[in-house]
Formats: sequence, C-alpha cells, structure tokens
Amino acid sequence: MTAETSFSQAPPPEATRRSRLTAQRIRSAWIFLTPMMLALALVAGWPLFRNIYFSFTDASLTNLGAAQWIGFDNYYSKITLPSGREITSGLLVDPEWWRAVGNTLRFAFLSVGFETVFGLIVALVLNAEFKGRALVRAAVLVPWAIPTIVSAKIWAWMLNDQFGVINDVFLKLGLISEKVAWTASPDTAMTAVLIVDIWKTTPFMALLILAGLQMVPKDIYEAAKIDGVHPVKQFFKITLPLIWPAVMVAVIFRLLDALRIFDLIYVLTPNNAQTRTMSVAVRENLFDFDNFAYGSAQATMLFFIIALITILYITLGRVRFDGGK
Amino acid sequence: MARAVTTRTKIGYTIAAWAVALVIFFPILYTIITSLKTEQEAISGFSLIPSFSTQSFSDVQSQNNYWRPFTNSVILAVGSTLLALVVAIPAAWAMAFSPTKRTKDILMWMLSTKMMPAVAVLVPIYLIFLRTGLMDTRIGLTILLMLINLPIVVWMLYTYFREIPGEILEAARMDGASLRDEIIHVLTPMAVPGIASTLLLNVILAWNEAFWTIQLTTTNAAPLSAFIASFSSPQGLFWAKLSAASVMAIAPILILGWFSQKQLVRGLTFGAVK
Repeated sequence: MTAETSFSQAPPPEATRRSRLTAQRIRSAWIFLTPMMLALALVAGWPLFRNIYFSFTDASLTNLGAAQWIGFDNYYSKITLPSGREITSGLLVDPEWWRAVGNTLRFAFLSVGFETVFGLIVALVLNAEFKGRALVRAAVLVPWAIPTIVSAKIWAWMLNDQFGVINDVFLKLGLISEKVAWTASPDTAMTAVLIVDIWKTTPFMALLILAGLQMVPKDIYEAAKIDGVHPVKQFFKITLPLIWPAVMVAVIFRLLDALRIFDLIYVLTPNNAQTRTMSVAVRENLFDFDNFAYGSAQATMLFFIIALITILYITLGRVRFDGGK
Repeated sequence: MARAVTTRTKIGYTIAAWAVALVIFFPILYTIITSLKTEQEAISGFSLIPSFSTQSFSDVQSQNNYWRPFTNSVILAVGSTLLALVVAIPAAWAMAFSPTKRTKDILMWMLSTKMMPAVAVLVPIYLIFLRTGLMDTRIGLTILLMLINLPIVVWMLYTYFREIPGEILEAARMDGASLRDEIIHVLTPMAVPGIASTLLLNVILAWNEAFWTIQLTTTNAAPLSAFIASFSSPQGLFWAKLSAASVMAIAPILILGWFSQKQLVRGLTFGAVK
C-alpha cells in the first residue's frame, strides 16, 4: 500500500532523514509509554504510599477526615501505667498477626515445595512421546485456567463432612473410620487448603518446567546412553542442572502468589485460625472490624515481608529472568 | 528388537500420561457429572452415572438471576481487555522497536508491580471507588481490571513483537509510512496471532479475577466469580445447583481454551512455553 506513494517526491538526504526519524521515534516511544506508566502509577504507586501513610494514623472508615498522625503506634507502642506496669501493643507484639505470618509462610513453603516436586514429575511425563499429547496437555491445564473461586467451591463440597464424596469414598475404602470435617477441623484445615492449591497449581509448575525440558538438547541423552549412564543418574546429573534456571523462575512466580493467597482460603476455610493468612487478616481488619489504620499497618508489613523474601530469593538463588532466552 | 522396546516404552509413557491427566482432570469431570444429577443424587455418595437431569441448570438460571453476573463477566472481561490493548500496543511497540537505555528498567518496574500483594493497595483503591461513585459499577471494575492486567498484556505483546523483524517496519518507514501507518497497517496485521493470544489470556485472567470483584461489588456489577463466591455455605441441598453454576462459569474458558490450546499454554506461562 505504502510502496506506491513512497517515491512520488524526492527523498531528503539519507543521513538527515535518518536522524530526524530517530529523534521522532524516540519522542513517540516516550509518548507511547506514558499512558502505561501513568496507569501503573495510579494503580500501584500512589495507593501504596497512601496505604503506608494510613498505617501511621488512627484512621477508620467512618472517620477518615479526622485521622490523626500517631507515628509508629500501630506498629509498636508502650504505655507505662502509674503503677509502673508496662503495657505494649501494636503489630510487632500482636500474637494474632504473627500467627497469620506463620500460617502464610507454612502454606507458601509447603505448597510451593510439593508443587515443584509434582510439577517436575508431571513435566517429565508430558515431555515423553506418547499418543494424544495435545489432549493430555489441555486436560492437565484446566485446573489452572478456571477461576480459583470455582475450584474452591467445588472442593468445599467434595471435602464437606456430611455429603462430601471424599469422606464417602474414604469410608468405603476403609481409609478413615468416621467422617472428617476436612475444612472445619483445626487439624485438617491447612491440609485441605494445601491439597486444593497443589491440585490447582501443579499444572502451571509442570508447564514452566516443561518449557525448560524442551530446551535440553536431545543428543546429550544419546551421548549419556552410549556411555551407559543410568537413567536416575542422568536425571540428577544432566536434566536437573540444565532445567534448574527454569525451575527457579517458576518457583518465584509461585512463591509470590502463595505469600499473598486470599481467594482460596476466603472460600474454602473462612474463619479458621489455622489457615488465616496475612491477606485474610488484613481484609478482616479493614472491612469486618473497621480497624482501618491497623489493617493498613498489616498491609504495609505484608508488602515488606514479601519484598524481603523476594529479594533474598533472587540474590541467594541467583535467579535470572532472561536466563533461558 | 530395539523397535519393540521403543514401542513398549511409548505405551508405558502413554498410560502414565493419561493417568496423570485423569487424576488432575477428575474433580472437574466429577463437577460436570454432578451438575447433571438431581440434588438428592448429588448428596447420596460417590457415583459416576448421573440421571442426566437438567433441572439444576434451569434452576440456577431462573432462581438466582444468573444472567446478570454472566453479562457482567462478559462485559468486564472483554471490555478490560480491549481497553488494555489500546494502551498496551503502543507501549509494547516502543519497548520492542524503539528501545532506549531505560527500556529494561521500565520493563522490570512494570513486572514488579505485578508482584505486589493486592491487599497492600486495597484501602486506597477502595476509597477512590467510594468517593468517585465507582463502587459496584461495571465501568469502575472494567477500568480497574484493565489496569491490573496491563503489565501482563504489555509483557506478552512485547515478547511477540520482539519476534517480528524490525527491518520490515524500517522498510515501511523508509517508504514513507507514518508512525501511525507503521503501527496500524504494518505491525498489527503481522502480530495478529500474538495479539489474539494476548487477548485470550487477558479475557481468561479477567474472567477469573476474584479479589477485587469480591471487595468492590455487591449485586449490580458482580461478575460470576463474586456470584459463585457468594453461593452460600454448603449447608443446604444445592450441590447439583452449585455444580451447574460452576460448569456454566468455566464452560466459556474450556471452549475458548480448546480452540486455542497452544496460545493459551504460552499465555498462561507468560511466554515461557512456545
């Protein structure tokens, strides 16, 4: 289309034309980037600062205008009573909060750990040659592609103590002697959440690891085979080191998601102290208890805890996001 | 001899792979089966054979005003995706074809915003919605979902655009094409597969989004995710109805996904699997 009109007028000297074009392109590039950066600042930058500001005030949802600056009191404060007794309060000495932090970390490490191992196994199976690969790959991906809310509801019913099929099948197989309240009982609530999360997210892990597996050159295995290297040794000495960068990237993606988990727990085990994670605790304080400022302090701390873990992971694990490319 | 071994291994792998797929897919399959049962059947123990009753589907549609959240889901998912593309295509063009020293920093900053926990910005965004009257409106949520998924949209388009040789665009430019022509008439047609899979992924992400839709809607703008979350606690006899509602909520994804498996895999893994 453009070719027909192109030479209708004498082109300016090549050099000036090029530099003019370059300048114009750089200017346009910045103009094109501006809306995106403004949008991100609007949704991520400014609200984050505002949240941190709230955490230093005594704001509540009904009393935002009259919010007073109270310094670090939401985090830590110490009052000495006339009797000489000291009372400390605030987030840093709040056992409920630290329990939520503990729950979150426990959930994150267990779920990501299992997902990595299962993901590796599934990826190794999917990487082999077999019939109906496309269909299998699609079927495996479904739990990851459907809304978490839907999976949580489905599992809530399957794990239901009275009518759930899991109790029914386990009873018939003799694995349990009486019906278990999987999502309500303090002993099993975390296990229930872990099962659902592992089921939902293993496919994602498997696919990311599969991407790494597909980049391993086939002739390495040929060579190993000729040298008579045992398949198990092949896996640990050849496959694993080569796909390690892909695994590391997959783990950080998952870890970030696991540390802020909300919707699965909100639906599957609401009001259960054993599965109350940081995000769930923050939401409770913000909306259910109207502890706006305190919730903001928790949200701020959650942000820094996640940032710290991410930085540690990336530096200690020497993760390179462009590693495979 | 060698051939026989290979065939046997292949059969072994086929069985293993299908077993893995069945285990992973089974809860979904059981939900589909349950949706075709009556409420009484649904709670009377494990059974793979339903009575093929469509009662639950019609109940959900008539009793629970199902079509309102369904329409909301469609509007939110499609609307936010189209809006995101309008902002993202020029931005991804700038990053892929006109990189500066800062491009890498911007890209990293953009991705890092995706790593931020949503609760850390919940209060301020909740307040903005409250003050501007956007609470529980489709337009408010559409804009928010667009902003939230924007980093992924830009990132995916960027990975696709990078595969297009810059010389083609340069040639068009040398032929006197304006920047507007270059992007609309040269780049976009070449990037149609990439744009399509970005669109698909973003529709699915927006369809699945629950954190914001639960916090920022009540009834008017609530999409299917919020609707299903509020499908009250599993006390009454409505497992079959819940299954029917769930099947209707995941059907669009299953259908979209089936017709675009390859793009979906690439999208869901942020371009890692090609």
